[in-house]
Amino acid sequence: MEPAVQVENLVKRFGSFTAVDGVTFSVERGEVFGILGPNGAGKTTTLEIIESLQKPTSGRVSVLGLDVQSNAAKVKARIGVQLQASAYYDYLNLKEILTLLGSFYPSKVEPGKLLEQVGLADKSASRIRELSGGQQQRFAVAASLVNDPELVILDEPTTGLDPQARRNLWGLIREVNQRGVTVVLTTHYMDEAEMLCGRLAIMDHGQILALNTPRNLINQLEASYTVKLTMDQPMTLAQIEALNGAVEVIQSGEQDGEDPVTENTYLLRIANSPSALRAMLDEISKSGLGLENLQITPVTLEDVFLELTGNELRD
Amino acid sequence: MVALIFANLKMMARNRQAIFWALFFPLMLVVVFGLFEFNGVGVADVAVIDNSGGPRAELFRERLEEIKFLDLEFEEITPDEARRKVEDGDLGYLIIIPELFDDPAGQVQAEGPAPVTLLYSTRNPDRNQLVDGAVRNLVSDIHSDGGPVIPSQLLTADVIQVPEVDYFDTVLLGLLGLGIMTNSIISIAVRISTFRNQSILKRLLVTPLSIWKFFAAEIAAHVLLALVQAGIILALGVFVFGGQIHGNIIWVLLVTSLGSIVFLNIGFVLSAWAKSPAAASGMGNAVALPMMFLGGTFFSTAALPWILPQLSLALPLTPMLAALREIAIDGEPIWDTWPYLAALGGWVVATALAAVKVFKFG
Repeated sequence: MEPAVQVENLVKRFGSFTAVDGVTFSVERGEVFGILGPNGAGKTTTLEIIESLQKPTSGRVSVLGLDVQSNAAKVKARIGVQLQASAYYDYLNLKEILTLLGSFYPSKVEPGKLLEQVGLADKSASRIRELSGGQQQRFAVAASLVNDPELVILDEPTTGLDPQARRNLWGLIREVNQRGVTVVLTTHYMDEAEMLCGRLAIMDHGQILALNTPRNLINQLEASYTVKLTMDQPMTLAQIEALNGAVEVIQSGEQDGEDPVTENTYLLRIANSPSALRAMLDEISKSGLGLENLQITPVTLEDVFLELTGNELRD
Repeated sequence: MVALIFANLKMMARNRQAIFWALFFPLMLVVVFGLFEFNGVGVADVAVIDNSGGPRAELFRERLEEIKFLDLEFEEITPDEARRKVEDGDLGYLIIIPELFDDPAGQVQAEGPAPVTLLYSTRNPDRNQLVDGAVRNLVSDIHSDGGPVIPSQLLTADVIQVPEVDYFDTVLLGLLGLGIMTNSIISIAVRISTFRNQSILKRLLVTPLSIWKFFAAEIAAHVLLALVQAGIILALGVFVFGGQIHGNIIWVLLVTSLGSIVFLNIGFVLSAWAKSPAAASGMGNAVALPMMFLGGTFFSTAALPWILPQLSLALPLTPMLAALREIAIDGEPIWDTWPYLAALGGWVVATALAAVKVFKFG
């Protein structure tokens, strides 16, 4: 069976700005595929080309075995799309919106059933504006399922939601996927990507920097733990370098200047060995530096992202 | 497509505020014009042709000028020209002073002095009575020094029969055109601009709905709304304020639909340029208001100064109102208004092409 999505050397330019710069990936049927990246990374543009909302400057995109440029209507009939921040008609209730959207497709799912699936059965006579943010996003997912699609594309489905609503939506996305629907989603939340996605493409400045399962991406890092040290006084470069076992110093408190929270705070990555931590602590006590605070956390996708881009995730 | 038409109608019906304002403005004007007394006497414009030129005729003219409600012009005008103007309603009255008005020889004739001719149309019966009486009295007064006269022989009334037309009837059709124009332009411009701002258009674009069906459903729903609006405006005008529709109402509604499509297309064009719904509303008003004054909504465009009468012919409201009035007031069949329909048809095509060219979904 053809892959759900096949993207080859995709380039999209707006004037002199290159939004998508030679992206290649494929999404297998039945998986949850995530594109992780900061705002402006090119995620939405890539999705919009897959949805045939935009034309690529060059490259090829096929969806469910169909070239999207020459089969736009056929592709649209078989996929479901939730756009980033799109609204629905103000003066129709949920059931009426789903009925209307369904009328555009050759095959459609009964609106009551869809609302039931997303836990909004009791809201079928409500208008969109009467829903909470989480309910609105769940409704957007329901609307993307109106044609019983083989593939759903969700653009930042949980942006702006509170943690509980996000978890709720993750559950819904997993359920949809378990019924055999391929899911492609974008996010700029690391935890979301880690929790939901079978495979993940990390994107920045229009390019894919890495593509693997979240676990493999993390395992690829040389370091396994992040250590956050807060000292009672600034460390010299020599002192920092002396901390044996530190794979690298990511952030030095000196750069943050006056900020009392981060002043004299250092983020180090250390390899996965208990001896490395002990060596580091020994070095600190030997040098006579006072340690005010120490936090040790396993590396996360955030660290992977930092490693790949040299930047923290821009919001 | 059918589902979209019904959904569109449902949404329009539920946007009560918008419907209220769409109807409020033209209905308010219907009420204002309905309450206004247009058929009061006012000032009567009178042209005088003096074939006598004698002192008695001069006295007659001077005395005429003293009558307050007569607005006299003594321009060179031929009787034929004046007769045509009276017939068209561009001139109220014509007084012809006969050659023998002053002739003393004439006065001794048994049949008395040669009669003055007063020419007018049946357009304004109340005023006719007043003017006829005033002029008759004046003539008889001027001749009263010359022996016995028979007043009924001093003035010949030459009355042109024209179909009875109330100014309110003319204005009612103007208001119909105005209501359809403003509602069609502004409501579609604001609606589409809102849809675009909220990414609703984009959401529709990811479905297999074809673009022409989207446009067709919007236009169909709005034209139906325009017909309901037309029905309400005409019903209020006719049943409450005694307006009259002489022609076939089906033709009236057909012209209304055609005009509505032109204005909807203009609304689509504006929505492509407007950055926000508020801007769309402002742009809609900016297009509609000048057209209201230049299109002959309330007053004949012939009364406009400068080159504006010619300019008004180039606007879509003008042929729409001209066709509506010829059908509704003059009772003409729709095919007799073909030059206006052709102009409207041209506008439909031109504005549709413009809309397709500039319209953006994203």
